Amino acid sequence: MHEMGIAASVLEAVGKELTRYPGRRAVKVGLRIGELAGVDAESVRFCFDVIVKDSALAPLELSIEPAAGDELDFAYLELEEEAIPA
Amino acid sequence: MTQVPVEKKILSENQRIAAGLREGLEAAGTLSLNFIGSPGAGKTAFLEKTLSLLPRDARVAVLTGDLQTTNDAVRLARYGFPVRQITTVGACHLDARMVEEHLEGLAAQPLDLLLIENVGNLVCPTSYDLGEDAKVVVLSVCEGEDKPLKYPGIFRKAEVMILSKTDLLPYVPFDAALARRNAREINPAIEIIETSFPTGAGFDQWLGWLASRAARKPAKARAALSERAMAVSEI
Repeated sequence: MHEMGIAASVLEAVGKELTRYPGRRAVKVGLRIGELAGVDAESVRFCFDVIVKDSALAPLELSIEPAAGDELDFAYLELEEEAIPA
Repeated sequence: MTQVPVEKKILSENQRIAAGLREGLEAAGTLSLNFIGSPGAGKTAFLEKTLSLLPRDARVAVLTGDLQTTNDAVRLARYGFPVRQITTVGACHLDARMVEEHLEGLAAQPLDLLLIENVGNLVCPTSYDLGEDAKVVVLSVCEGEDKPLKYPGIFRKAEVMILSKTDLLPYVPFDAALARRNAREINPAIEIIETSFPTGAGFDQWLGWLASRAARKPAKARAALSERAMAVSEI
C-alpha cells in the first residue's frame, strides 16, 4: 500500500549515494525485500517504473532480491564505467 | 560496469529521524508506544479508556494519526492530556518526521508516557520506526482469528496484542483461544491482553504491563508510572 513511498525513498537514496561518485551515472539499483517487510516487490517495481522515467536518474534498472526476514534494504548500486578522458 | 555495495535501509532517512526521536525520549525518560491496528479495531476507544484511568497529573501526551478529520483528537482531548492530531492527507502510515514535527511543543514538561495512535492499517505502519519503545497491536473480536497469520509482520514486531471488544464475544463467532494460538505461532513472546471498553475488563492487566514496561526505562519514568499504576489499582 505504501510502495509508492518506498519507490520514492529508493530514488532519493540513489541520488544521495551518487553524490559520492561525482560524474558517474547509476545504471542499476539492487534492493533486498524480505517476505515479512509488508512490501510487495511487484508493486514497488510498478511504482518505481512510473516515477523513475520522469526523474533525472532515468534510465535506471531495478533489481529486487527476495529475503526471508523483514529486510527492506538498498543493497547495491551499479555504476556506468567512468568515461575515458579524451 | 562497477557494482558498489550500499547496504543501507531503504527507509534510512526515516530511521535516522527515528533514532533521534528515540534518543530524545530516552533522555527524557519517556515510555513511548506505537499503537497499530485495522480501522475500527478500537484503538481510539482503548486509548480513551487508558487516559480515563490515569491520574490527571500524569505527564502523558497523545499523537493520533488519520488520513482526514480531527475527530479522534477531539475524543482523546476530553481527558485533559495534551493531544495532537496528525492528518496524513492520504498517507497510509505515520513516519518519524510527522511524529517529530507534532511532538514539537506538545507538552511543557518531559513526558512519562507518549501514546502514538497510528493510521488504521496492519501493513504499512509496520515498516516505519517512530522511535517508540514498543509497538502494540490492537485486534478486535469482530475481526478474523487468523489476522496474525494474514499480517504476520506487525504481530511479529509487537510486544503486546490487545484483544479488544471482548464484551461482544457472546454475539460474534470469534474463537479467542484460536486467535491467541495464531498470535503466539507468529510471536511466541507476545503479551496478550483481553480488554473491553464498556466493562473496563483487562485494563488492570494493561496498566500493570505499562508499569512493568516503564520499569525497563531510566529511573524517572519508572518511578512516575509505577506510582500511578498503583494509584489506579487502589481506586
